[in-house]
Amino acid sequence: MAEKEPKLTAKEFSKQLTQKYYEGAKHAHEQGKYIAYTTAVSPAELFYAHDVIPIYPENHSVMMITHRMTAELSQSIERKGYTSHLCAYARSDLGFRELQKSPIGGIPDPDFLLACNAQCFTLTKWFEVLSRRYNAPLFVFDTPQFIRDKRAREEIIKYVMEQIYEMIESLETLTGKKFDFDRLREVVEYSRQASILYKTYLDMASYKPSPISIFDALINMAITVYLRGTPEAVQFYQLLVDEVMETKVKKGIGVIPNEKYRLYWENLPIWFKFRDHFKLLASYGAVILTSLYVHAWSYDFDPSDPVRTLAENYASVFSNVELEERAEMALDLFRRYSLNGNLMFLNRSCKAVSFAIHELRDIITEKTGIPALIFESDMGDPRFYSESQIRTRIEAYLETLDQLSFERERGLRE
Amino acid sequence: MNQKEILEKVQAIAQDPFPYLKGKKTEGRKILGSPLADVPSELIHAAGFLPVTILGTNRPIVKASAHLPDNACSLSRSNLELVLNYQREDFDGFVFPQVCDTTQHLSDIWKMTIPSEFFASFLIPRQVDRTSARHWFYAETQRLKSQLEGFSGSPITDDALRKSIRLYNEARTLLREIYQAKRMSPTLISNRQLFDLIRAFCFMAPEDIIPLLQTLVSDLDAEKSGEEKKRVIRISLSGIVVEPAELFGLLDELKVSVVADDLIVGSRMIDYDVPEHEDLIMALTERHFSKSPFSPIRDVGTRLYDHLLRRVEETKAEGIIYFHIKFCESQDYDLPDMKSVMRERKIPMIVLETEYQTAAKAQTKTRLEAFIESLYGEQIHG
Repeated sequence: MAEKEPKLTAKEFSKQLTQKYYEGAKHAHEQGKYIAYTTAVSPAELFYAHDVIPIYPENHSVMMITHRMTAELSQSIERKGYTSHLCAYARSDLGFRELQKSPIGGIPDPDFLLACNAQCFTLTKWFEVLSRRYNAPLFVFDTPQFIRDKRAREEIIKYVMEQIYEMIESLETLTGKKFDFDRLREVVEYSRQASILYKTYLDMASYKPSPISIFDALINMAITVYLRGTPEAVQFYQLLVDEVMETKVKKGIGVIPNEKYRLYWENLPIWFKFRDHFKLLASYGAVILTSLYVHAWSYDFDPSDPVRTLAENYASVFSNVELEERAEMALDLFRRYSLNGNLMFLNRSCKAVSFAIHELRDIITEKTGIPALIFESDMGDPRFYSESQIRTRIEAYLETLDQLSFERERGLRE
Repeated sequence: MNQKEILEKVQAIAQDPFPYLKGKKTEGRKILGSPLADVPSELIHAAGFLPVTILGTNRPIVKASAHLPDNACSLSRSNLELVLNYQREDFDGFVFPQVCDTTQHLSDIWKMTIPSEFFASFLIPRQVDRTSARHWFYAETQRLKSQLEGFSGSPITDDALRKSIRLYNEARTLLREIYQAKRMSPTLISNRQLFDLIRAFCFMAPEDIIPLLQTLVSDLDAEKSGEEKKRVIRISLSGIVVEPAELFGLLDELKVSVVADDLIVGSRMIDYDVPEHEDLIMALTERHFSKSPFSPIRDVGTRLYDHLLRRVEETKAEGIIYFHIKFCESQDYDLPDMKSVMRERKIPMIVLETEYQTAAKAQTKTRLEAFIESLYGEQIHG
């Protein structure tokens, strides 16, 4: 029983789970198990329900990025004709396959690939390259933009549900084993619980002062990305929520002293810089609390109808709705977390999340009155990161916020 | 009109369709624009509107940069620029397909920056290899039909749709005949002329272009006498679009003849007719799935190359000129594997990076010249 074991911290437990997961994957083929590559936002529950191990190349790429390997990996494939403006995840991954360099000794080759385009289109093309390379089938899980037309939404859910059944057939063909829907219900129930706890954790950023920053969220989201659908993920988030409650919230301890600016972050993080950014911001009394990105895994599953609930949750992720709705999702975070600043990162690596940033800024600024900083860089490739320029711009932005709050205090401004 | 006059007229429309479209508007026809690709023109036409493919502009980018980052593909930027800045009043509405991240965002940006009487998203399936894609295309086409009916205020009858389908099929058939005539006698019509005809077909009502094409076909038939004496290098083009269109003129200057292509504004637009079917929406669906591959749409992983290889083989093309739209991510992912397949098969291929706003003619010309010289060399030594 878990209670009798020496009590681990959430951080230790997360490390243990990650090691176990990658160990398991490494030996999957020896144990007659199949490896499926999948994308972070995808119905991975189908794999867990069918005893296929889902592997997330994106996740592995984040490790390569934080280990600052991306420039070298990318250059190795640029020599093969890939361009440096592709997604840094894709470049890191293709580079890993070229140089066989990885901070964790690599990930196993795929027997099957699933790419869900609710997240982005790039993944489907990147996985297409891998599918050719390993001669493994690729299933594109197609989620048309979840536009706000009632009829379209009904039809989209029907289409996505039909694809879940097709996907199940593909898995049965792959493994020669019948799919078990009762097991799927069980897995979705684990996902439901993990998602609720994960969201509870993220929402702790609404406390004042906030006990967590987005950097904590980014580290702790890994488990729900690759282990949702397992009981361990539920245990982990329960432990995490309890821990933050006991050690921070109940004592009123904030993640930074003198919290003054509670910031929203638009887009994925600049993975290789986030510690530096945390420190820089903290010196101004500013902390980034949340983003739509970390909320992409705050699902709301209903296990009684597992196929429908998977379709509904994965089709409606923030990156697959219309801009107005996405802005509303962000505005909801501004309200719930009492945010008073907005850093908008235009990520060269991610067209899918970046491209309508100016329009998004216009909506958010109009509704909140909070000025936004838009700056351009790359989430994974330091060659596209200009230290002094970004630092100067962030500093100037925080000074603007200071000026605004000074004027407000003096009654010079509404 | 004689052949020369017809070609001049159609080419003028291909280069600047807006005087023609203004004329249609004064006749009371509403213009619905759609970027590439796969919007069923037949349905829009049957609803009484004029479907027009939006093919960008070569004029300077002034306003689009404020809305799209500089790593958005040249096609999306010039499409937005064309309508936002230059020809806004010429469109009454839009039917907007989404095929990739850029087009999905462009759709959002478009709705916010270019208010219009009518905007319908046409969410084509981004996979074609499973049954669900067919069901989805059918449902989405039905939904588009209802939206068009809502805008026009009257139902699209089967008779009207059948008539539109026949017209589009006829125009496509005629364009194929002209293309085929060029394959047989490469100098009969220039590359620029052939592709301007296809381009004009993107803008013109089929009932307007058909009589012109009919005259051209009969004139070309009459001309097609005797064997070609001079050796002409036979080329296949590959990609999505060839822009700016002067590049076709460059191919003419270099005395090569296009005998095949897998372009979206090319063979993929004219090679596939709507089959006879009692259920006309099903007929449009069938046509969609009969088409050749399109880079952003998931297909069997190697079909893009297999298809091109087959076309090259069938038409005895001697090399491939691949047009890569700057910052088209889909093509970025295809290219390295595509190049290695062609290398393995020993098919000469050159990749030209293109941008709507710059022809970079001198450099492109030098590279193409070298490529074509090498093809002559292959012929001599091979």
